[in-house]
This record gives sequence, C-alpha cells and structure tokens, in this order.
Amino acid sequence: MTAIESELRELRSSVREFLEAKSPEEAVRKLMESEPRFDPAVWAQAADQLRLPGLVIPEEYGGDGFGPVELGVVLEEMGRALLCAPFFATVVLAAQALLASGDNAACARHLPGIASGRTTAALAVAEDSGSWDPALISARAVPDGGGAGAWRLSGRKAFVIDGTTADLLLVVARTVAGPSLFAVDRQATGLEAEPMQTLDATRAMARLTFDAVPATLVGSDGAGGRVMAKVLDIATVGLAAEQAGGARRCLEMSADYARTRYQFGRPIGSFQAVKHKCADMLVQVELAEAASREAARSAAEGAPDFPVAAAVAHACCSRAYVFAAMENIQVHGGIGFTWEHPAHLYFRRAKSSQLLFGGPAVYHERLLDRLGI
Amino acid sequence: MEHDMQDFAAEVRRFLDAHAAKAPDRTAFTWGEGDDTMAYFSSLPPEEEREHVRRARDWQRIRHENGFGWITGPPEYGGRGLTPVHDLLYDSIESEYDVADTGTLSVIGLGMIGPTILAHAQPHLKDRWLPAMYRGDAIACQLFSEPGAGSDLASVATRAVRDGGDWVLNGQKVWTSVAQHSQIGLALTRTNPDAPKHRGITAFLVPMDAPGVEVRPLRQMTGGADFNEVFLTDVRVPDDHRLGEIDGGWTVALTTLMNERATVGSEGAGPVAAALSPDRLSALMRATWTWDDRALRARLAELLVDAMATEHLNARALRKLRGGVVPGPEMSVSKLMYGQNLTRAAHFVSDVLGPRVIADTGRWGTYAWSELLLATPALRILGGTEEIMKNILAERVLGLPKEPAVATTKEVRS
Ligand SMILES: Cc1cc2nc3c(=O)[nH]c(=O)nc-3n(C[C@H](O)[C@H](O)[C@H](O)COP(=O)(O)OP(=O)(O)OC[C@H]3O[C@@H](n4cnc5c(N)ncnc54)[C@H](O)[C@@H]3O)c2cc1C
Repeated sequence: MTAIESELRELRSSVREFLEAKSPEEAVRKLMESEPRFDPAVWAQAADQLRLPGLVIPEEYGGDGFGPVELGVVLEEMGRALLCAPFFATVVLAAQALLASGDNAACARHLPGIASGRTTAALAVAEDSGSWDPALISARAVPDGGGAGAWRLSGRKAFVIDGTTADLLLVVARTVAGPSLFAVDRQATGLEAEPMQTLDATRAMARLTFDAVPATLVGSDGAGGRVMAKVLDIATVGLAAEQAGGARRCLEMSADYARTRYQFGRPIGSFQAVKHKCADMLVQVELAEAASREAARSAAEGAPDFPVAAAVAHACCSRAYVFAAMENIQVHGGIGFTWEHPAHLYFRRAKSSQLLFGGPAVYHERLLDRLGI
Repeated sequence: MEHDMQDFAAEVRRFLDAHAAKAPDRTAFTWGEGDDTMAYFSSLPPEEEREHVRRARDWQRIRHENGFGWITGPPEYGGRGLTPVHDLLYDSIESEYDVADTGTLSVIGLGMIGPTILAHAQPHLKDRWLPAMYRGDAIACQLFSEPGAGSDLASVATRAVRDGGDWVLNGQKVWTSVAQHSQIGLALTRTNPDAPKHRGITAFLVPMDAPGVEVRPLRQMTGGADFNEVFLTDVRVPDDHRLGEIDGGWTVALTTLMNERATVGSEGAGPVAAALSPDRLSALMRATWTWDDRALRARLAELLVDAMATEHLNARALRKLRGGVVPGPEMSVSKLMYGQNLTRAAHFVSDVLGPRVIADTGRWGTYAWSELLLATPALRILGGTEEIMKNILAERVLGLPKEPAVATTKEVRS
C-alpha cells in the first residue's frame, strides 16, 4: 500500500464518517422536500471541518489543490450517501468552468469564495431540449456598451442544478463569435429562477429566464464551446464516481438483504436466481469503479487518453448504476417498491444521472467520436 | 521496486531484440492487408499442428536458457525467483514481438499444472518434471473433467485402487485439452467411494505413455480437435506419483483451479485484441457500408465500453499486485467479462457482416470471423462456466449462503 493509497483511504473514511452523521437517510428525505434542498449548516461544516468545497481548487485561489483522484473518492462517498448539497454544481461544474476558461481575473474573483464554502455556484448550459450540444444554444449575449466585459444576456436555460439557490451563475450564451461563458450575479435584475419538478428530488434543478440581464464575459469571446467540452469531461468523470458509489451501495443493500430475508425456509440469497442477480450487480459495480477511477487517474496524469477514458467512465457507470438500482428493488421484492424504502431514491438518482448529460445515444456517439470512429 | 522493474524491462527487451522481430500491431492495421485469421482454437492439419508444437517448444527452450522460462519459479527448479508482476511485465513486452505461440505448453501445463506440482508433489517428481516442463521438453494436461463430472468436479468416478506400491487407475476423462501432445497428466481419481465426495479424491501425476492410457481426439464445434477423451484402463502409477494426501486430492485440485481462473483471463491475446480493436471494427463497418447504422453504432459503443472497462479492471489488478496486494474479485470478474466481451464482439460483427459470415466470398476479413464466432461458446464454459463463476462471486465475495446440499440417494436410504 503506497502512502498515497493510505491517504486516500483516510480521506474516504473521514468523508464517510461525516456523511453517516450528517446525511443519514432521514436527513436526505427531509431535505429533498425542502427549499433550499440542502442544509446550510451541514454545508458550512463540510467546508470548515473537511474543507471539501476547496478540495480541488488550486492553492492560489484558496483551495487545497488536490486532483481528480481525491475528488473521485469524495464523490463516491457523496453518491453512496445521496448527499443533498451544492457540491456537484459548485465544485464540479461551476468552478471547473471557471478554471477551464483560463480567465485568471474571474478565477481570482470567484474561486476563493467557492473554496471557503461561502459562495455556491451553478453552471447553466442546457436549454429546453436538455442538450449540452453548443450548436443548440439559443440564449444570446450582446455587448452592453457600458464598458469592457459588460454584456446583456437574454434567453432561457433549464436543468440548471441548484439554479434557484446558487449565488453565482455561469451561463453559456451565444455571441456573434459563438458560444461564450458569462458570469451572472444571483441578484442581477431581469433574472428569474423557478424550480423544476425533478425525477430525482435529491438534486434540485431550475429553469432560468434572462431578460437583458447584466453579465460579465468569462474567458474569451467565442470560447464557450471549448470550455464546455472540457467541463463536460471533468463533470462526467465526477458524476461517474458518484454513480459508482451509489451502485456499490445498492449492491451492498441487496447482498445484506439476500443474506437475511427468508422465504421457503431458506435465505433468498441461497436461490440461484437471486445469487446470480447479485453477482451480475457485482460485475457491473467492479467495472464501474475501475472505469471511473482509471479515468480520474488519467485526468490526474494529464494522459492523452483521458477523453476516451472519460467517455468510457460515463457510459459504464451510467449503465452500472441504473442496473444496480433496478435489481436492488427486484431483490427486495414488495418492500423495495415502497416509498419508505430507500431503494427508489437510488433508482431516481441513477436514472437521472444517466440522462443528465444527454443519455446513451449521446454518450455512445461521444465515445465513438473520441475513438475517431 | 519501480527501479528494479525498469532494469528488468530493459533486460527483457535486450533478450527479445536479440531473438525475435517486432510484431506488427494487431490493433492498428490496414484494411485488406496481412493476416485476417480470427481463430481462437487452432484447427490445423496434424503435420502443421506438430510443427506448431515444435516451434512452441523451441521458443520455450530459448526463453528458459535466457532466464525467462519460469519467471516466478524457484531457482532450484530453473526458475528465476521473481514476482508475478515481473511475469506480467514480461508477457506484456513479449506481446510486442513476433514469437511462436506457446499456448499449448503454457496455458495448462505451465500456468496450472506446474504450480500444482510445485505445491504438492514429492521432491523427486518436482526434480523430474518441473525443469523439463519449463524448458519446453514436457507438456502437461489436466485430467479433471469426466462425462459425469464437469462443474460438479468433486463427482469424479475414475477409480484408483491400491496394489502394493502402485495404484491402478480405471476410468474416462473428457474434454482434455492438449492431451495429444502431453507427456504427463494430472488426474483426479476416486480412492474412497464411502467418504463424502470431496474427501474421497486423490490426485496423481500420470505419465501419458504409461500402458493403458489411450488418447482419442474429440472434435469440437469449431471443426478442429484441441481437446480429447482420455481412457485409463488398468493404468499402473507408483505411489510416489501421488500429489498430496491419500483422499486429500481436493486440496490439490483447488490449487489448479485457482490458477486456472487467473490464466484463462489472459489467454488468446492475439485474436482478442483484434476482435476488440476499435480501428478494426470501424474499418469493418466502413467496408460493409454500415457506418451510419445508428443501432449498430450504439452496440459498438457498448461493446467498447465493456472491453475498455475490463482493461481498466485488469490494470487495477496489476497495480495491486505491483503494490504487493493480492487482487480481490478483479480476476474472476475479468474471466467472466472476457468470455462475454468476445461473444458480444463476434455477434456484433456477424450482424455487421450479414450473409458474408455464413459463406466465404473470398473477401479479406469477412468470413474469417466465423472462426471466432464458433469459438465463443467455449469461452463461457471452460475453466468454470459463467454460472459457476457467478456462484463463486456471490458466495465468496458477497458472502451469500450456499445452496442447501441435496440429500444423496444413499443418505435418503439410510
Ligand atoms: C474448450 C474446452 C476445453 C476444456 N479443457 C479441459 C481440460 O483441459 N481439462 C479438463 O479437465 N476439463 C476441460 N474442459 C471441461 C470444462 O472444465 C467443463 O466443460 C466445465 O467445467 C463444465 O462442465 P460440463 O461440461 O460437465 O457442464 P455441466 O457441469 O454439465 O454444466 C451444464 C450446464 O449446467 C450449468 N450448471 C452446472 N452446475 C450448476 C450449478 N451449480 N449452478 C448453476 N448452473 C450449473 C452449467 O453452468 C452449464 O450451463 C474444457 C472444456 C472446454 C469447452
């Protein structure tokens, strides 16, 4: 066991311990029906005690400068616990968009607040179709005339994770130069946010309307497509870790139940139909963990195969989680179909994660594209 | 450790550069050029098959003379005394070179039987056979399966009866790979019919030229005959050819089976790499004008996701080994996925090819896939069927309860 591995183990166990205390099932259930859909006190503790929001923010911007591997460990644990928190939107989407923009001034302005946990943020890309394809973006931005970097933004965004609560909104809108990234303050005039009904209640999403909202250009005009592509790779790998963690949890629930539930005078796990279901889940979970962790490694090493590994992780973990979540309900029988049982919470998260960035048709083509096929 | 690995890798390259040419990369290729064979099993005519085995032995001897014949083996038997990681590293470097395929010797004999002999045989047997096997002089086979004992290996019925200093073996083995080339076979026999079935088994090393051993080729569905039936009729084996205790053969069998799982997953690198090569598969789609077919593209993507995730899993197992940690379920999962990935690839390609895989148009790289297609069912059976592997994962990794034992007729009667 290398030093790095034992450090990762330590990180995992401290995050797990924290989440077991702060995000037990009752807490998740309470939060998923409240607004905001996270507990600001827990978020503050995650920042103060564990420094989680700053984990992967570079040190120059007030973070701890860890990389994708550490991020993966944390996200696996959050996925297991179904933590309701602005972590994914703020750290995995918005902060990564700022970093990918290469705009040092914008990073210096926003990242320290994010790292300390004081600022939450969201990234608004998709519109009504839910697609992340830059060609389908119709929100527009025009120069304000008022000064350099000042713009006015109009249009609609949807599926914006934590869009009603985030302090800072990063928005991709079209200019004459092409898709570009903008920063919008939550308090800006002309901005409206309404919560969307969601399949997965543990991940809040919003529809945003912009009516000539003052916005600041982040990075260079027309660079939004490139930034999005980069963010999407990082985000899908982060999501993959979350999915792997959730899938592992589903497997554990099933195996535990299969050992202890008796029917026909035998534990149901001694029936081969159930046993093989669990083995199939194990296979998927092992593949998912391998795919997501290898992708994180290759990101950390800056390996040239990272884009391929990211696409593999996204597809593999999406499939594994949906499969594990479905089979988990099946293994549990009737009880698994009740509102009271947590199985549906994982099912909802699994399905919604699979489709968050477009779903199988999209990620299959992304993979083939990256392989030059 | 890392430094030592680099030195070792350099030494391997020096050896290979001196004795072999670099192999063309099977994954990067030009459509229509070179060898298009996708055979997993050989199916060569007998003379060519013998020539193939001779080349395998020659290459094994050269390896051995240069210190790469048995990388993990103890030095007193001609081994190098290094770690499994050195072994894997050697394999991965050797795969870049064009060398004889040594599968006939290595998969079963060196991969499974050798370690079992090392762990359980008496010293004179080790002296007699281990150096010979790793030098390429002796080939070994696994005489486990019988018509009535496959997955349920502990039901072997071949009898061994004590006669003075010898044992007399009678029975029939089946599906025995490479028996036709073997000098020795590791046989599981029943020595105590009254003991519970796992406890009445004894293992013997049987010289394949002993009177009463008859090997009959068994044609397999690919058309060739890699495996055999082996009939044992009054075969006399001295007691010092016994491995392990009398009636303690199950422990011996477990050593072999454990190594089998690890070996099967790493087999057949050539056709496997080709069958799962994105370049080759996409070239095939272009050549057959199925390039735009959305349904096929989605299937191709799924296939590649599985193949690459399986590779990631292997990479992780390798890294664990390198760090001195014994891999967990990775090996069993890989073995399962390996069969499924190839099966899926073969069926994907046959859907792309359509009629061109049912009759040979003479076109490069089309009908050739029929050989892989026909071989894939074996990959879900040999070395423990898919179902048995799932039982093992569920019971040993997830801790699920075993199926209740069924009362035997004897127990019911008493
Ligand atoms: C190409 C090839 C090479 C081989 N080489 C060798 C060799 O060199 N030496 C050797 O000893 N053997 C060899 N074998 C034999 C191989 O190990 C057996 O075929 C295998 O273990 C399955 O046994 P079986 O064929 O008797 O099938 P069976 O055990 O009869 O199985 C038939 C079906 O029933 C299922 N089944 C059986 N038991 C269970 C259970 N408990 N739960 C669920 N399903 C079950 C199986 O999964 C399978 O689907 C080889 C086989 C092949 C195909």
